[in-house]
Amino acid sequence: MSDVPVVPVAELPGCQVADEKTGAGLPSGQIADAVDEEPVATATEPPSSEIADDAHADPLSGNPATGQPGNPTRERLVIIKHHALVRLSHWLNVPILFALIVSGLSIYWASPVFLHKPDPVTHSRDYLADLGIAIAQHVPGAEVNPSWFYNHFGLGVYNLAGALRWHWLFVYLFLANGIVYLLGLIAGRGYRALLPRRSMIGESLAMVRYYVGVVPMKIARRPWPHPEVTTKYNALQRGAYASMPVAGALALASGWAMHKPVQFWWLERMFGSYDGARIVHFAVMLYFILFLVPHVVLVLVDGWDTMRSMIVGWSARIGGSE
Amino acid sequence: MSDEMPQRVVDEKKLRKQSRRDFLLFGAGAFATLAGLWWISPLSSKKRIFGDHATDFLDTAAARFGLTRERSERFQNRALTFDDDVAEALYSPTRSVRTYKPSDVTPLRNNYNGRTPSPDYLDTWTLRITGLAGDTFVILRKADLARFEQHEQVTRLCCVEGWSAIAGWSGIRFSDLLRKYPPADGARWAAIESSVNLDGRGNPDPYYVSIDLPTAHHPQTLLATHLNGHPLGTDHGAPLRLVAPMKLGLKNIKAITKIAYTAEQPRDYWAERGYSKYDGL
Repeated sequence: MSDVPVVPVAELPGCQVADEKTGAGLPSGQIADAVDEEPVATATEPPSSEIADDAHADPLSGNPATGQPGNPTRERLVIIKHHALVRLSHWLNVPILFALIVSGLSIYWASPVFLHKPDPVTHSRDYLADLGIAIAQHVPGAEVNPSWFYNHFGLGVYNLAGALRWHWLFVYLFLANGIVYLLGLIAGRGYRALLPRRSMIGESLAMVRYYVGVVPMKIARRPWPHPEVTTKYNALQRGAYASMPVAGALALASGWAMHKPVQFWWLERMFGSYDGARIVHFAVMLYFILFLVPHVVLVLVDGWDTMRSMIVGWSARIGGSE
Repeated sequence: MSDEMPQRVVDEKKLRKQSRRDFLLFGAGAFATLAGLWWISPLSSKKRIFGDHATDFLDTAAARFGLTRERSERFQNRALTFDDDVAEALYSPTRSVRTYKPSDVTPLRNNYNGRTPSPDYLDTWTLRITGLAGDTFVILRKADLARFEQHEQVTRLCCVEGWSAIAGWSGIRFSDLLRKYPPADGARWAAIESSVNLDGRGNPDPYYVSIDLPTAHHPQTLLATHLNGHPLGTDHGAPLRLVAPMKLGLKNIKAITKIAYTAEQPRDYWAERGYSKYDGL
């Protein structure tokens, strides 16, 4: 996806402070500077020959910002946001989760667990079938029947075998992709922006207050400033993004608990019972979908720089969070 | 918290070059992903969404790059065999299936894929076992089964459809039958068949499963004659059915009439219909 090296500058010898905004307070010899043949560094930072060869191919692993970018026509101050492996796994998750959800719905339809008494009119016993009936009633020409939802949001009509085949294919990809993500998180030190912090609760409330008021205040044309965020993510983002690997692990654990309840008996026990694992698995799918809606809406609202940073890895938005 | 957002001074030209390359990779990846998803999507779903004409056009285009329907099937079936290989690697002959108390028993549905056979076959029922050591065979009647040691267990039956049920089974151990009538050397599989199985219209539709011998040897693999203390009814496979709780329900064949030990993997009813072959839980 990119030639940002798996081992970032920060992990190379002599680069302990490569991620620091400034090298202030540290011995000058420790300040990393993976410098190019065409030096972009300011004169105060002599190139370190020790690491120059490893990093010269990659502009993003150039020397740390000194806060004084040099020639403005040839150099640029950017924020390093996402490691290449994180970006790769992020985009791979789009088709993988899509395929897992559509095939999962087809599998679920073979024997739903969330059932109610049969509806006297529609004969539906399943909540998603009810939803499908409600949608189909407003779709011109649609045949209103309990399988409408699954026929349109699943992999196909009566296709349990095909759906299982897809599910196994994509779950191994999901597993591999999760490992790629974790490697990227470690290599790019991205995990630091996800770890919980004590101030998160208060900051989350401030963000909730902001989101609740943002549309009414826009209508009322009153100023409604975004809470100040000095970290990569605001507290709600931090929580939401940190919950994703947890949800992924839970999806895998509950999935394997029902896929291999005998060999992985301890996993099945962890979810109480076989059906317990099914319910958790379904709930995690809903959680992924619930995450996705604000995730996509907010990135569109936030603008091109944020979207682009997940493709190229860097952001030009200096000194401010999203 | 600038350490979360490291800043760098970078060469503008190189930054542009790398960004352009990342966008090209992103575009190529997106195209490849769409092509790949198209390639492995079920034909009926594609036709329903895009219509016959567009589907045929795009399938023909994909086939010119080697993405044919046949290869799609082969590729996806490889995912099934891979998952089966994982399941087989996970299998342990000493790991017991979780057992329950008789009070945990839940209703067990009759999931015959076609019509339930009428009980007429019971009077003349026999079990024919072939592929035995010395190239012999044996025919057993109900009374012959009663001479084996009887075992009871309450286990969960898990269906490929997602439902499961806890049921109390009793009958003989498959391993005892294997000891009494040992298979020929080199046998690795049991081909188990029910000749009384019917399709949805009530026509004969023999059902057959492949069971690997390690599974057959497992102490919790029963040839059951009773369900929850009562003799099996025709709905649950009278007079003899397989209870292999470490396999999906579809391997737990009802109303067994034939067992053949083979060296090669025998055919399997649902594997021929797109499901996996091993089905280990």
